[in-house]
Amino acid sequence: MKIYVVDNGGQWTHREWRTLRDLEIETKIVPNTTPFTELKKDHIDGLVLSGGAPRIGLDSPLGNCAEYLEKAAFPILGICAGHQFMARFYGGEVKPSIVPEFGKTDLTIIKEDRLFAGVPHQSIVWESHNDEVTRLPSGFTHLAESETCKIQAMRHQQKPFYGLQFHPEVEHTEYGEQIFRNFIAVCQK
Amino acid sequence: MFNAEKFIETTVADLKKTLQGKTLIAFSGGVDSTVCAALVNKAIGKQLIAIHVDTGYMRKDESAFVVKTMKAMGLNYRFVDASEEYYRALSDVEDPEKKRKIIGEKFIHIFERVAKEEHVTYLVQGTIAPDWIESGGALRDTIKSHHNVGGLPEIMHLTLVEPLRDLYKDEVRKVARILNVPVAERQPFPGPGLAIRIIGAATKERTEIVREACDIVEKEIEAAVEQKLMEMPWQYFAVLIPIKTVGVHGDKRAYGYTIAVRSVQSIDAMTAAYSDIPHEVLDRISRKITNTMGAKVNRIVYDITNKPPGTVEWE
Repeated sequence: MKIYVVDNGGQWTHREWRTLRDLEIETKIVPNTTPFTELKKDHIDGLVLSGGAPRIGLDSPLGNCAEYLEKAAFPILGICAGHQFMARFYGGEVKPSIVPEFGKTDLTIIKEDRLFAGVPHQSIVWESHNDEVTRLPSGFTHLAESETCKIQAMRHQQKPFYGLQFHPEVEHTEYGEQIFRNFIAVCQK
Repeated sequence: MFNAEKFIETTVADLKKTLQGKTLIAFSGGVDSTVCAALVNKAIGKQLIAIHVDTGYMRKDESAFVVKTMKAMGLNYRFVDASEEYYRALSDVEDPEKKRKIIGEKFIHIFERVAKEEHVTYLVQGTIAPDWIESGGALRDTIKSHHNVGGLPEIMHLTLVEPLRDLYKDEVRKVARILNVPVAERQPFPGPGLAIRIIGAATKERTEIVREACDIVEKEIEAAVEQKLMEMPWQYFAVLIPIKTVGVHGDKRAYGYTIAVRSVQSIDAMTAAYSDIPHEVLDRISRKITNTMGAKVNRIVYDITNKPPGTVEWE
């Protein structure tokens, strides 16, 4: 099983790599300028789009992430800026948050999904964002919310593409590792 | 899961190949640099020279302890007391990033001086993953410049080798336990030391105050852990806030600094939650500090911020 982490410059990119490695996945951090053909050559089973440097989720192109979303048949998990980019790519909207969230936050799952298998209806997640998805792209399902940020999780209705505003890769997110296990299960298909 | 035995084996083999000549290691006495030194020592033995610099911003009796450790490990070592030089350079520097840069540059200059005397080619540092991640780079924003990365002068005449670059602290501790390194369970201590636990100018006078306060916080918390009153924190220390407030000491007006107590739980410092210190322990810390420090400190506060939004250290 091989899942790569695309580095968009987030503080926790390396944590994503580490979580995958700890779950015995073959993984590597690759720059977001890596051409899709190179990822394909490595026969990866899934891809994580990391969070990003401040504010790039709002309007930057995020390297070749568009190409990955366009061409990939394998599952993709977008985190924070990666999630925001995914929303923009599919016609959703990203705006500065009215209440930016940093650190400990309560997450509520509003629609069951295999990505959240084994995760209770309410749990603690950690956040770090100034912007957020304010309009869900069409063709996506809204999966989870917090008190101050509606679109905390979403998934593409046809493709195995997920977006998470919170950070499942950090230690203090209660069920973070479980979410990664679930993503790995999605990639196993 | 991370396999420490395998890591030791491959790293020692790699170091044997890479280090073709005399090698210097920056030895702070913390877990990272001690593990690094043990690995390099395994690889090249006496070709390694460990260097410890007393910046003046070390904790109470720390440099003496570090020298003892280097001796016990059978390392080839050099000890440089540069404290007066550091105090002079930092006496009026307030900006935290500037502090870190100055401290980092001075380290390197000292290392370069020793390297020339000893004809050294390589410099080994115990940089771990969060250090270079937070120091920023092409894509990443600079949260803080870790002295062992961001403080490096552009042109360094030594080849830098960082064997622990991809490891997190909990993994370094696993390696330390297998190598039987005496400092495996020590709490992390930043390279710039107490200089970044003093908000504003890190003068000698303020350093003495925060050094004493840190020592009290450490001892009280360790005693409380021993008595099973609380869990062992990831990191626990004092910060000097250069704000003076009014107090009353024996019917006399006092006007002293503020000390903040900081203690957090974490496994890798990438996120952290403030510790749940029982009130009776906080009370002991507060009384001990104000009673020992006389008129210099007359207010103690407890920091209840997680990371994010805060960081573990204040600067």
